[in-house]
This record gives sequence, C-alpha cells and structure tokens, in this order.
Amino acid sequence: MYLHSGLKPTRPARLVRPVAGLCLGIALGICGARADAPATGQPATTDRFRVSTFAYQVPAVRLVRDDGKGVLLSDELDDGRAVFLNFIFTSCTSVCPLSSQNFSDFERELGAERARVHLISISIDPEQDTPARLRDYARKFHAGPEWQHYTGTQAASVAAQQAFGTFRGAKMDHTPVTLVRVAPGKPWVRVDGLMTAAELLQLYRSLLAHG
Amino acid sequence: MKRASLCWLACAAGVLGAALVCAATGRPAPPSAAGSGKAGEAIYRKGVLPSGAPLIGERESGGTVEGVDAACIRCHRRSGLGVLEGRGSSIPPISGPYLFKPRTHDDNELPFVEAMRAERDPYTEETLARAIREGIAANGRPLGYLMPRFALDDAAMAELIAYLKVLTPRRMPGVTDTELHFATVITPDADPVKRTAMLDVLTQYFSDKNAAYRNTAPRLKSGRPVMFRVTRRWQLHVWELSGAADTWEAQLAAHLAKEPVFAVISGIGGRSWAPVHRFCERAGLPCLMPNVDLPDAAPDDFYTVYFSRGVLLEAELIAHDLAARSQKAQRIGLLFRVGDIGEQAAAAFSAAMGASGATVVSRRLPAHGGDLRGALGGPGPVDAWVLWLRPDDLTALALAQLPPPAGSLYVSGLMGELEQAPLPESWRPATRMPYLFDLPDQRRVRLDYQLGWFTARKIKVSSLRIQSDTFLACGLLAETISHMVDAFQRDYLVERLDDNIEHRILTGYYPRLSLGIGQNFGSKGGYLVHFSEPKGVKLARDSEWIVP
Repeated sequence: MYLHSGLKPTRPARLVRPVAGLCLGIALGICGARADAPATGQPATTDRFRVSTFAYQVPAVRLVRDDGKGVLLSDELDDGRAVFLNFIFTSCTSVCPLSSQNFSDFERELGAERARVHLISISIDPEQDTPARLRDYARKFHAGPEWQHYTGTQAASVAAQQAFGTFRGAKMDHTPVTLVRVAPGKPWVRVDGLMTAAELLQLYRSLLAHG
Repeated sequence: MKRASLCWLACAAGVLGAALVCAATGRPAPPSAAGSGKAGEAIYRKGVLPSGAPLIGERESGGTVEGVDAACIRCHRRSGLGVLEGRGSSIPPISGPYLFKPRTHDDNELPFVEAMRAERDPYTEETLARAIREGIAANGRPLGYLMPRFALDDAAMAELIAYLKVLTPRRMPGVTDTELHFATVITPDADPVKRTAMLDVLTQYFSDKNAAYRNTAPRLKSGRPVMFRVTRRWQLHVWELSGAADTWEAQLAAHLAKEPVFAVISGIGGRSWAPVHRFCERAGLPCLMPNVDLPDAAPDDFYTVYFSRGVLLEAELIAHDLAARSQKAQRIGLLFRVGDIGEQAAAAFSAAMGASGATVVSRRLPAHGGDLRGALGGPGPVDAWVLWLRPDDLTALALAQLPPPAGSLYVSGLMGELEQAPLPESWRPATRMPYLFDLPDQRRVRLDYQLGWFTARKIKVSSLRIQSDTFLACGLLAETISHMVDAFQRDYLVERLDDNIEHRILTGYYPRLSLGIGQNFGSKGGYLVHFSEPKGVKLARDSEWIVP
C-alpha cells in the first residue's frame, strides 16, 4: 500500500549522498521477505519497505530528551552503540504507532543484546510533544532503558529531519522511515516503509555480520 | 495505487435511509438497525465493547492495539471520512455509503473525499464483518497492513455496523446548493472598538469571496477533486449576545434555530467566552478561531479551535521565566480585578507555581475603582509582581507616579495591549511581558499582504491584532472549505483544518500554526520581552520561543 515494486525512490535531501548503488539488503540476503519482492539485481523493494544506504552528515542539533535533559543529537548517536532511529509524533494515529510497536517488539526480541543498541525516536511535532507526553507515549510501548524519545524546538526537529532526508514540510505528510547504523563511522541504512521487528532483527544481524 | 483499493469495504441497500437530516443540530440521525447506536458509537469512538471490555485489534504484522488506541476513530476520524496521512498511506472513508453503496457508472453521488478509493467493491454486512474480523476486503483480497483485525462477536458487530450507517454524510444546517452560512458571535462585554474592527474585516472578506461567485456554474457533483468548481456563496450572520452570561447559551440556541449555520467563524469576547464554547461543543458546531484572550477548552473538546491559550499561556510563561531566574522569588504578588480574565490567569499562574515552594499572594481589586497604590503596598514583603491589568489601570499607575516595586516585575501583554501598553516610564526597563507572537520586526513580512488588503479595501486599522487574526481566520476557513470540495460535514471541517493548518505560510502574528488530533490551540508558545527604550513601542526579547 505504501511502497510498491516499480515506485521510483524519493531523492533524500541535499545533505544526503548515496554511497552504494546496489541495495545493501540484497547483498546481505535480507530482501525478498515477501513473495512479490524481486529475486536479484533490483532495488530491495517489497510492498512494505525499501532498503538503501547513505552517508548522512548530522549537523549540531540540540534536542531535549524525554527525561528533560538537553542533549546534542550527535552525542546521542555516537555513544558507541548501534543506532535505530525513527521520527514520530504522539498524536499520530496511523503509521507512528505501528512504527513504535515494531521498535518495542524489536527491543524485546533483542533480549540480552539490547544493551548494545540505542533506539531513538524524535518528535516531528515538538511543540505539542513535551517530555512528559513523550514519557507517556514511551510507557504505552513499554520502552526499555535503551529507547529514548526526543523533542526540542521546532527548528531543531526540522534540522534533524532534514539531516536524514525525512522532512516533508508538515507532520501529516510524514512517511515511515527507520535509520540504522551499527556503529559510529559506518554508513546509515535507510528503510523507507515499515519493517516488522523480525525483519529489523534480521537486518541488524546481517549488518553485524557483514558491516 | 492498485493495492490501495484493496482496503475497500462493501455494500448493502437501504443505507441511505439512515441519512435523515437532523436539521436543528446536524447530529447523526438514529440508527435504523440494531441497538440505540450508543453501543456502536462507543466501539467506534472509545474502543469500548458493549460488555464494557476494551476493544482489541491485532495487526497481521504483529502487535496489538487496545481500547482507545484500537478505536476506529483513531484512523478513520470522527467523521468516518478517512484521511490521507503520510503521503500515500491513506485511510479510506468508512461512513456508510462509502462502504455499502453500489458502484454506479461514474460514482458521482458520493461527495469526494481525499482518501476515497477510485475503484471500490461495495460491501454487504457479511463481507464487512469478514473485513473487520479477518482483514479480507469485499473483493477477497487482504486489507492494508495498517488495519488491525478485530474479534467482535455478532452483537458488537451489528452495533458497529449500525453506527457506520449512522455516520452517513448528510445535508448539514447552513449548507444549501448555492450558499454556505456562517455565524460570528459577539458577546456584550466585547470591546466596541475591537468589535467594529473585526466586523469590518469579516464583512469585507465575505463580500470579496462572493464577488467571484459564478451563479451560472452547475452545482458540483463530483467523484473527482475539482476544487475550483465549488461556487457556493458565503453568507455571514452576526449573532450579538446580550444580558447576563448565563443566558447566552439559550440565546445561541435561538440564533442557531432561526439562522442555521455550518460553523462559527471568528467572533469576539470580553471577560467570558465559556458559554459560547460550551454551546458549540454541545451543538456539534465548529467554532473556529474567535478573538478570545481566555479560551476554555477541555481535553476532549473537538469543535473549538483557538489561535492560542491566551492569558493562561501567559501565566505559564511567567512561571517558567521565574523558575529560570537565578534569584528565586519567595513571595510573588498577583494583582488583578475581580471578574476580569486576569482572575483566571492568576489562578493558572498559582497552579503553575505549585511545586516551586514560593508563596503566591493575590491582591484583588474590585471590578471598578479600588486602591491601586494600597494593593501594591499591602502587608508583607513581595519580591516579584505579576500585574493582570488593562491599559486604564496601567495609565493610573503612571498618573499616580508610583515607583516600580522592587524585584521582578511582569505585566500581561494581552491585557495591557502588547507594545502599546501604557506602562509608567520608570517601570518600563524593569518589566517583562509574555508575548505570544512574533515581534513586530519578525512578523512584518507576514502582515504586509494583510495591511495592503486593508488599505485597498479602505478598512480602518483600529486594532491590528484583532483584524489580522480575523483575516487569518477567514483565509484558513476558505482554504479548508476548498479542501472539502463538496463534502460539507461539520466534523470533516474541523478535521481538514487540523490536518492542513500547518501548511499555512502567512500566519499573521504567529510564527507558525499547527493542530492535530486532540489539539485546540494553533500556536503553543511565546517569548518574554521588555521595552528596549524609555518611550515608544520597541521591544527586545528576554528569551527564545518558549513552549511551557
């Protein structure tokens, strides 16, 4: 429904530079989760997601974490752990809850490995999504200690979205994107669309094995 | 978008029979099938089953939603007309005829809504139940991945389907083939200068709108988005209230019965707007962006939309600023007049200061007269003052040549008339003011078009903020109406405004406007400012934009 075979990829924002022509997922053998996904040689596109790889440059963006503390986005990203990042807003009723549920299930399925990942959800409606609202939202999805939600000024949220080529102008125009990086210095793997927790786990394992 | 059509749910005859017009309120007609409709409404809106247990939905991809998070309203919206969210993730309309109506040659009897499917197979009650339980569309293919599966028993299913039929779009009061009727509300305690300022803009805007009306164009019957062909004339009704506030709701009901309108646009209040707010919520009447400095929205209110939280937001900004100061105030004095909006702002301030440990002292002046000097000089030391005073009282401070009290000093921007506030000269350097707008230099570009429009239309600018907000409200209404194409449902009007307001670039006095589900206030923050010169209107910021 959201992404289809044959749909042209959306060009990410200017800061984004593709570093791999071929789908990393194909190389790692993680595509083809659905019967209608291409077998080989084409972008890894299922009817629910597409995987691509980018080298994003993250500018200095100051955010407010759900515990109320002011932080630099780069510090949160570069703490040594593998990063799983998405953009949400708490009054979103369709895609965000599903995306957050996937993060929640993923976190649970990681088991003891969860200490090695950092799940980051940044609000795209930051003036509404106060730290207290984000904490309520996190509780609803049983977020563990490795999953934090972030708000901040509108400008900071926009800067973070632009850094990852996800800014669409208004929150109702958002699309589901998950960004994965196994370690600082490694490329970002971008998932446009929704991966289930099992697929996220498979992606994570493949990146660890080959990345 | 072939896959998009898979979500389509199916059809049974006789649905339109439920489309009875309830002329007085525009509320849904009673259901024709099982139950009272209340049980189906509880499933749809609250995710509560007839047994009282929470509704539970499971997604194909895993994950469970429960209770209010599982309720149909969460995605399909209150109107049941669906929504386009996230560019391409489209939630289809599920109000009765969009599910059940047989497909005709050009399918143009259903009002166009953005999320409707171009190709759809109508449902029967049986195939709809299968869709809800098993995620199988009328054509036998799976529904989209966002749609959970719900294990409803037969009784609950019958109630829900009965409610979906009740949700049928119907002819709304105030909507005719050629006209859209709107009202504006004026309370008797509104400032007469501001009242005229607002009406000048409103009547001119409606007149301009109708100047482009093409009465020869056929009425739009469309299964396609042909926005420019919506050619209804706009009619404004001015509802002037009188007498005591506790009689206003009855007056409004009488106005609505006599002059059915689709929505209330703009309006102006004085000390109290709560009766108007309550009436609109009860009548299911959208009340969009009135000029009110003390709005009164409860968390579940749906039909009322304001530009900001007014003096209640000011109170929280001041509390936030006091908390950020290195030297904490121990005793804070609040000065306000009984019965004016400052009284409730003072209460909001006290609540915001609750956990700070500071003592808050209220000094009340009577509605008229009273001893300003005495109130400021009263017993006990005070190391911060917050003044909720109108320009007359600020002028009186100057005339009495009162020196500014020691310590931190705040004055309400909205009540004092912002940069026009007649603060005593000696008070200006030390006084901070919450300011819920961009500063004059920041907003100038956004106001240029409006100012030009006022000049070209020979409208006297007597209260710029009121006139700017009124013009902005009209513009937002026009844009929202154009997005509705021909689906003039009151709930859908509010939903379209919520979803589209963020696209607005020319936002008048406000840095930006944004709404969403459960949000009643377009602008959510403000600055702290002070006068940067001994005289004149120049302001300087003491803070960044704060959202307390």
